Amino acid sequence: MIDIKKANKFYGQGEAAFHVLHDIDLSIAEGEFVSIMGQSGSGKSTLINIIGFLDDEFKGEYFYYKHPIHKYTRAQFSKLRNQNVGFVFQNFKLINTLTVADNVGLPLLYAGEKRQAIKKRVKDVLEAVGLPDASEKKPQNLSGGQQQRVSIARAIVTNPKFLIADEPTGALDSQTSREIMALFKKLNQKNRTTIIMVTHDEKVALQSERIVRILDGRILSDKKVGA
Amino acid sequence: MLFIELLKTSWQSLRVNPKRSFLTMIGIVIGIAAVITIIALGNGVKAKILKELQATNSGKQTTEISYYPNDSTAGSQGFSEDDLMQIRSDFSASLSDVQFKRDTKNINKPVFLGNESRTATISLVKGANQHYTITTGHNIAKSDNEVNNQVALLSKKMAMKEYGTEENALGSSLTVSDKTYQIIGVFNKPTDNYNVDFLLPQKTYLYSTAAQNGSTIKLTFNKGVKVSAASKKIASFLKKNGSSKKEGTYEYTDMGSLLSGISKVISSLTYFISAIAGISLFIAGIGVMNMMYISVSERTQEIGIRLAVGASARSIMLQFLLEAIMLTVFGGLLGFLIGWGTAALISLALPFKAIVTVSSFLLAFGVSSLVGIVFGLLPAKQAADKNLIDILR
Repeated sequence: MIDIKKANKFYGQGEAAFHVLHDIDLSIAEGEFVSIMGQSGSGKSTLINIIGFLDDEFKGEYFYYKHPIHKYTRAQFSKLRNQNVGFVFQNFKLINTLTVADNVGLPLLYAGEKRQAIKKRVKDVLEAVGLPDASEKKPQNLSGGQQQRVSIARAIVTNPKFLIADEPTGALDSQTSREIMALFKKLNQKNRTTIIMVTHDEKVALQSERIVRILDGRILSDKKVGA
Repeated sequence: MLFIELLKTSWQSLRVNPKRSFLTMIGIVIGIAAVITIIALGNGVKAKILKELQATNSGKQTTEISYYPNDSTAGSQGFSEDDLMQIRSDFSASLSDVQFKRDTKNINKPVFLGNESRTATISLVKGANQHYTITTGHNIAKSDNEVNNQVALLSKKMAMKEYGTEENALGSSLTVSDKTYQIIGVFNKPTDNYNVDFLLPQKTYLYSTAAQNGSTIKLTFNKGVKVSAASKKIASFLKKNGSSKKEGTYEYTDMGSLLSGISKVISSLTYFISAIAGISLFIAGIGVMNMMYISVSERTQEIGIRLAVGASARSIMLQFLLEAIMLTVFGGLLGFLIGWGTAALISLALPFKAIVTVSSFLLAFGVSSLVGIVFGLLPAKQAADKNLIDILR
């Protein structure tokens, strides 16, 4: 599904340019649950920004279902994001002035769906993440774990091909972390949703199927869990 | 994303901070209100002038030409039946009717009281006399008017002067325009009135003196005629050909020129106030821009989230642009209503009505949207151009 070849990324220009990613080659198949691990500054977030169509300024090739993403324009990127990826962030990134239902429905709104259809879909995904009664609440009135569930609901509301999770348990306590990881596993196994997760927590990473380790912008190792 | 949803999104964002949104609007409200007020008043005075200058298509317009004798004791009243005939034949194209304006108060006429000729002041009584108090004899009744009774009342002053007592005056005869009236009572002149010598029943008097002359004529024009110009023409015709041109002058009071004076004042005021309103709108626009910039930087996270879940740069830009336009358009509509109200209030003290037209509404709507677009564009562009990676990092 995802096929990245010789991806390089620089921050800055000319002499002062900082080389973040060096010749990254990475393939991810449908239905995989991949963890990307590395120290801060290793380039793991930069890598998933490229994978998740957030960053369109990189060198190298990126084929997504054989489509040459590296040739796409910025306008095409936003459509691609809307229809193919769901994002789950460390600090949830919910819009505090909107209700939970409006937050979850946001990607569908930008996809051009009708209010009625959105309402029904939002209700379904909120039930799926275990928050059936939260739809009219404001995000700041929920606990961290609940906010992360809302964020996951928003990520899966468009039925994306894959989820990008950037330190999804980084701001949560261990009990809540376990619940969130259980939810990810359920999504991966039941719905066959591909999940790409960045973490620096070994325990969390071990719950996935495959671990890619990155150091200084280079892939250090790429192994199946338990192998 | 559907446009209606974008509108809803923008509306929601404005409602998050109602006080700030309202304060931002005030400049627009004041600017638009000032412009609408002055335009409504200007329209009002223009409509009034048009009415004075030109008979409307729906109705006929009338004006008056008066005669002012050089010597107040002159016998001629200024207009004769011949004058009217002449006017009728010479101006038949524009006039539908010409008549003497019948005075009903303070008519100066030569009369015979007893056998003595004198010039006296006569007022006419419509129906029964209620204005003057009767000291001797009896009053003019409604029936006197109805059956054209030739009766008259004499002032107490005149009675004392001519007859010595009030009682002596009763039954004497008064001759006006060859008709003889019998004096049936004596009245006491109210202090606030002119020196009236005789009171006659109006219907009797008008009936008997089948108007062969008068000091004022009433002109009724055909539809669409330029009343002011036509009246002036007739007045100058009378100056040359009128029966009493040597003893006095014929004057036409031009209401139109009076009003066009007011109109000039209002149109210069319009420029002045429009200039001030323009400055007010400009400053208000800068205020909107400032607030939008603050809003964009405050909501950087929101913009990042929207972009991440698939908003295009275009829809982000539209959202912020719509917010700015909504602010200014609401301000504009509010200003329109306030301006309308203000103009209506001011016109209570003026001799014309304030007129608010559809074009005034469109002006308010157009100008306020324009301010929104002009001053909302840069902040909206800034919002749309934000770097997603930088926001989410």
